[in-house]
Amino acid sequence: MVTLRNIVKDYSADGQLVRALDGVSLEVAAGEFIAFVGRSGCGKSTLLNLAGAMDFPTTGEVLLDGISTNSRDDSALTKLRREKVGFVFQAFQLINTLSVVENVELPLLLAGTNHARQTAVERLSSVELACLENRMPHQLSGGQMQRVAIARALVNNPKILLADEPTGNLDTATGTVILDLLKRLTREQKTATLMATHSAEAAAVADTVIELRDGKIARIIRK
Amino acid sequence: MTGNAKLFWRLMMRPLAREPVRLGLAVIAVALGVAVVLAIDLAGTAATGSFHSSLETLASNYNLEVTATGGVPEQIVGQLATLPFNFVLSPRMEDVAVVSETKKTVVLLGLDLINEANILQTESRKLETGNPYAGEDLSKGFFADDSIWAGSGLGRKKGQQVSLIVGDREKTFTVRGVYDDKNQPAIIMDIAAAQRALGRTEKVDRILMRVPDGQNVDSWAKQIASILPPGMEVRAVGTSTEENRKMLAAFRWNLKLLSYIALIVGAFLIYNTISVSVVRRRAEIGIARALGANRAEILFAFVGEAAALGIIGAAIGVPLGRIMAAGAVKLMGTTVNALYVSSRPGPIQLGFTSVLTAIAVGIGVAVVAAYAPAREAAQVTPVEAMARGRREFIVRVHKTRDFTIALVLAGAAWASAKAPAVGGKPLFGYFATLLVIAAGTLAIPAAVSTVIRASSRFLKKSGVAALLASRSLLGSLRRTSVLVGALATAVAMMTAVGIMVGSFRITVIQWMEGEVPADFYVRPAGNPSVDRHPTISPELADKFAALPGVEAVDRLRAYEISYDGVPTTIAAADLHGTQKRGRTDFFSGRPSEDVLEELRTGNSVVVSEPFTYKHGVKRGDTISLKLGTSLASFRIADVYYDYGSERGFVLMDRSVMKKYLPDDAPSNLAVYVTNGADPRRVREEIEQAARDYRVLIFSNGDLRHEAIKIFDKTFAITYALEAIAVLVAIMGVAGALLALVIDRKRELGLLRFLGATGAQIRRMILAEAALLGLLANVAGLLLGFALSLILIFVINKQSFGWTIRFHWPVAVLSGAISLIFAATVLAAFYPARIAMRLNPVEVVHEE
Repeated sequence: MVTLRNIVKDYSADGQLVRALDGVSLEVAAGEFIAFVGRSGCGKSTLLNLAGAMDFPTTGEVLLDGISTNSRDDSALTKLRREKVGFVFQAFQLINTLSVVENVELPLLLAGTNHARQTAVERLSSVELACLENRMPHQLSGGQMQRVAIARALVNNPKILLADEPTGNLDTATGTVILDLLKRLTREQKTATLMATHSAEAAAVADTVIELRDGKIARIIRK
Repeated sequence: MTGNAKLFWRLMMRPLAREPVRLGLAVIAVALGVAVVLAIDLAGTAATGSFHSSLETLASNYNLEVTATGGVPEQIVGQLATLPFNFVLSPRMEDVAVVSETKKTVVLLGLDLINEANILQTESRKLETGNPYAGEDLSKGFFADDSIWAGSGLGRKKGQQVSLIVGDREKTFTVRGVYDDKNQPAIIMDIAAAQRALGRTEKVDRILMRVPDGQNVDSWAKQIASILPPGMEVRAVGTSTEENRKMLAAFRWNLKLLSYIALIVGAFLIYNTISVSVVRRRAEIGIARALGANRAEILFAFVGEAAALGIIGAAIGVPLGRIMAAGAVKLMGTTVNALYVSSRPGPIQLGFTSVLTAIAVGIGVAVVAAYAPAREAAQVTPVEAMARGRREFIVRVHKTRDFTIALVLAGAAWASAKAPAVGGKPLFGYFATLLVIAAGTLAIPAAVSTVIRASSRFLKKSGVAALLASRSLLGSLRRTSVLVGALATAVAMMTAVGIMVGSFRITVIQWMEGEVPADFYVRPAGNPSVDRHPTISPELADKFAALPGVEAVDRLRAYEISYDGVPTTIAAADLHGTQKRGRTDFFSGRPSEDVLEELRTGNSVVVSEPFTYKHGVKRGDTISLKLGTSLASFRIADVYYDYGSERGFVLMDRSVMKKYLPDDAPSNLAVYVTNGADPRRVREEIEQAARDYRVLIFSNGDLRHEAIKIFDKTFAITYALEAIAVLVAIMGVAGALLALVIDRKRELGLLRFLGATGAQIRRMILAEAALLGLLANVAGLLLGFALSLILIFVINKQSFGWTIRFHWPVAVLSGAISLIFAATVLAAFYPARIAMRLNPVEVVHEE
């Protein structure tokens, strides 16, 4: 579902070239849950951005559901994201001025999909938050906010789910619930889920754990 | 640099440089506000400060003047000369002439050149032309009827010939000398020659006097007046200039207040800029507080930031104001000449006081506007300021409380509008205007919130961009309200002044239907002027009356008088003819014929509406008028609506006037064509009859067209001021949207993660601008309607005394509002571009 072929990603910071990823190759199948671990700056978030068609590699190729992100323009990449990718962030990233259900239906509205509200309500039910659909984000707990974010990420039935430190802002118990939810939905919806995390507990939930060090894959642990 | 100054520079000023566009917009807003205030101040002084200065320049050695309506009989000069006091007398003829070649109107001054040779000698020496009398044979026509001395401003040389139109006659004169006119072009003739040229022999227009020192000038004036006939006026030289200045005070005052609108709009924007600054530096405030800064220091830091914007804005505004003053002088000069008095604008003088006032106003407005957000910044606790995950500054908007206060202020505005003028100034009217603006501003958060919520379903159907835009505006209600308030204030003033001017225009047009009934109007050639009444040869009216196809000719003779220290026009007309087709509206509602019959049979006059307001008189009262050498009493038969001039007008029957002033020469003629006659043919006949006279003939349509043209020019400056206020507001919208984009980087980046295209982001920003524009226009229209009622029925009435009938200038308003709406949306293109170019990965991770 997600293929990374010999990916190199360089950044220029204050005139200095910084290599964030250095020759990473990877294949993630549908329904597979992969966790990326490693120290801050090891390239986890960069890898997720490339896998989400938010950025281009300096060299190498990223294929999403068989489609290469290279040489695609902005609108083509946007279309690709709309159809195939869902994002979950550490800080939830809900829009404060929209209600819970409006946050969830937002990707559908942006894509111009019909019956957005109905789909969003169904998706909220799948994360067990149907009763809170009209609440505003600031009226929710951290765990509830992250579940809303997951519902939003999955509302357009993406084939790839990218989660960047999804439990980073949550307590352990709530984090465990969220991880279980992610795992369940990965299985049910057959998404290829890529998660970046610092947490060993979080990584333990994944089918495969990939350790990154200085932009390279240092170790792969399959369960 | 002290420690505090260093910190202020590093923490407050240096970050401003990172946002040059937004900083630039805020500074330009202040600069434009300051520039407009300064320009109107400078232009006001220049455009209204030089009445008859050519005359006054050459009158500096005298301290009293003797005048009389229709001229001072020559024997009065003799009478004064024989008094046992050491008076220095200077009888003068004072009128205007038109230079045929350039069509320029210049002052024509008749002096006793034998006695007053010193004037020309002194002024000529300044030009180093020596003694103008040198080498002249005084017996050979030096004082002949065709001799003139030209002011240096006319650009003529000694010995040149110049053709002048005086009254309705054109004649060639010889320049006998040139004198330094200090940029106030005038022509000097010998007094006897001037009397003959003007057709006013045996009379002089004014006698200037220098009375001996040692006694108060006023007591001299009383003493001299007691021995002269009762119609004579004895007063200090320059009184008329002072009277004119007084008459213009209301006009200047109103324009000055109008000039502050741009500054008020600018204040909204400074408030917004500082609010944004507070929101953005929330974490820094927390850190500074944690490191030992106290509340006062935080308060001063933000007020200081505003003051810095004020200083930079004022520094740009002062030179800009000086440049704008040149344009404003022209526009104001048109109004002054059309409505008040002939005046040539003086030089624009940028004095130290004006500059200091402008700078103080700029900084003051910035500081006052910044106080509230600065105080809010000072109130935040360090922990609250540094709290993570709450980037959005939750501002408290007390909608209900503010709306209640708004209702109270609206009630106070209503009560204030009912109060009478104070010292002739509509102070309570102005106060009511401020209260209405304040009420409107306070009601805006509640109104914005209600409208957006009510229209949410419709907005959602309009697309995701509209939905997000509306939610964003609602989410930052205070900022939205400030922006809507700023733009709405500008739109409101534009609407109010637009309604007032539009209503006034239609009122004037309707008024002219009744007041301009004749087929042709005739006046002497030259520029029209509200306070000068050159005459037409009396025989011309008779010639016209005898023409085939002419049914009647009405004569109107006007004089300038000073009534109760206020310049006033007194006129006499053939009241039998004017009512053939005309219809004058009187306050009493009586038919015109009844009122005019009263004028013909008794010592009665009708007065214009502004006259009653200026002098506090009404129908049935008695007024005393100085006519010739007599002081006569007249009963006010009625009051009529008059929009021709802001000067008071007293009208009587010509037969009554002739008892006091037997001069037959009319100032204007109205010619009525017989029913069935061909007006074109009649016009040709009139032109043929008038071929030896320099007169202008206007058809009825021409005259109305001309009047409306002058009217439109008169109000051009008000439109210019409004346009600047609107421009400032639109710049504010652009700046605020830019700030909104910068503050919402995270949200905009997130939308890109969620599948929004760049075009959708742009649409969202444009939709926000459109919503802002729409809300502001609607609020501005409502507020403007309320303000227009105060302008028309309180401020205008108490300042000028005109009854204006309310009309909606639909076309002008809808055009202007569409333009503002379009400009608001256009202003959002740059912020939208910035929003589209944000890197979503960077902005989401930054947060």
